[in-house]
Amino acid sequence: MTVPAISETELVTRAQNGERNAFSELVRIHAQGVLNVVYRMCGDAQIAEDAAQETFIQAWLHLSAYRLQTSFRNWLYRIAVNAATDMLRKEKRILPNALEDLQLKDPQPGPEALFSQRERTALVQKAILSLPDASRAVLVLREYEGMSYHEIADALDIPVGTVMSRLNYARKGLKEKLEQTVFLQVEAEHV
Amino acid sequence: MSNKHVTEWLNAYLDGELNSRQLQHVEAHLTECQVCQAELESLERLSSLLQEVPAPEFTSPERFAAQVNLRLPHERAATSEKKAFEIGWWMIPVGLLGTWIFIGTSFFVSDILSVANNLGVLAGASDWLVFDSASQADWSAALGQFGFLSGNSLDWAAATEAFTRTSLLEITLQVSIALLYLSWLAIWWARRRRQGHGQLLEG
Repeated sequence: MTVPAISETELVTRAQNGERNAFSELVRIHAQGVLNVVYRMCGDAQIAEDAAQETFIQAWLHLSAYRLQTSFRNWLYRIAVNAATDMLRKEKRILPNALEDLQLKDPQPGPEALFSQRERTALVQKAILSLPDASRAVLVLREYEGMSYHEIADALDIPVGTVMSRLNYARKGLKEKLEQTVFLQVEAEHV
Repeated sequence: MSNKHVTEWLNAYLDGELNSRQLQHVEAHLTECQVCQAELESLERLSSLLQEVPAPEFTSPERFAAQVNLRLPHERAATSEKKAFEIGWWMIPVGLLGTWIFIGTSFFVSDILSVANNLGVLAGASDWLVFDSASQADWSAALGQFGFLSGNSLDWAAATEAFTRTSLLEITLQVSIALLYLSWLAIWWARRRRQGHGQLLEG
């Protein structure tokens, strides 16, 4: 039996009227996006799952505050960014320590191999996490969710100009942090 | 303007967020400025480096949705508007009941005063409060003077008018209140049925 497709607006309206099934469908649709955003924000899979669940619980509790004229995804992402930031503050275990672990467990044989792929990933992740929350949120939504500046502005409730300045700041900060390490290796690989 | 570096526009250029005029300007500058070209390449390198960071394998969306569903509280935090609406909603029957009691009491007191007045207990002190038969029949008497009513018809008209002025008013008010209450009850029942239907679907 085929189930007729229900629009997101219809699902949101039903969820606002208390239908948990409709809300579950919204969770299913947006789970991946929210998990991705919170993971990029906090860099830890377990914290990300907790933050994503918290995001949807907060969305359910405050669904009546959501206005149908705006993007539901953007509204969810705003909650997700806040949930990830709060969760990170509560949990003190943040990814950067993983780099030291990796270096101990997986030493490279030759001096020419500066970093393994895993180590490089960990370094980049560490650099992302070292950014201020506000800049990191803009960077994550742009780089990993491919959102336009206007969508980011809408999601984070900030002006487009602020999106641009935060993104410039984030990228500049990342380049400075990675310039002396990962960038050199990437350049070497391309030569 | 072409001589000035466009580094501040390179992020927006990379993200495809420049308007056509800005785009033309940046592209023209990039063809002749190695500093800005290097900066753009550096930004592109950073972007591809960021894409290298993989996301872990998360729980499937279906399983995740089921986990969230288990944690969803049954009662939703009501907003202040919703709370105000709920309070107002339950004040409707309370208000109707209060009005009904007030009207019933007023007419009951009026009847008692009317009887007392007719018996002469109040000695005319409460004329302004009650509808005495003389004032009730004023309009009928006026009609009688013009020959519209006469004899028994006049008495009948006076009695009808007294009924119209007192009992009919009371009945009209009470029926209105009853209708309003029944409407509220019907809406309440419909809302409850809809909520029950929602819970049934969830189960």
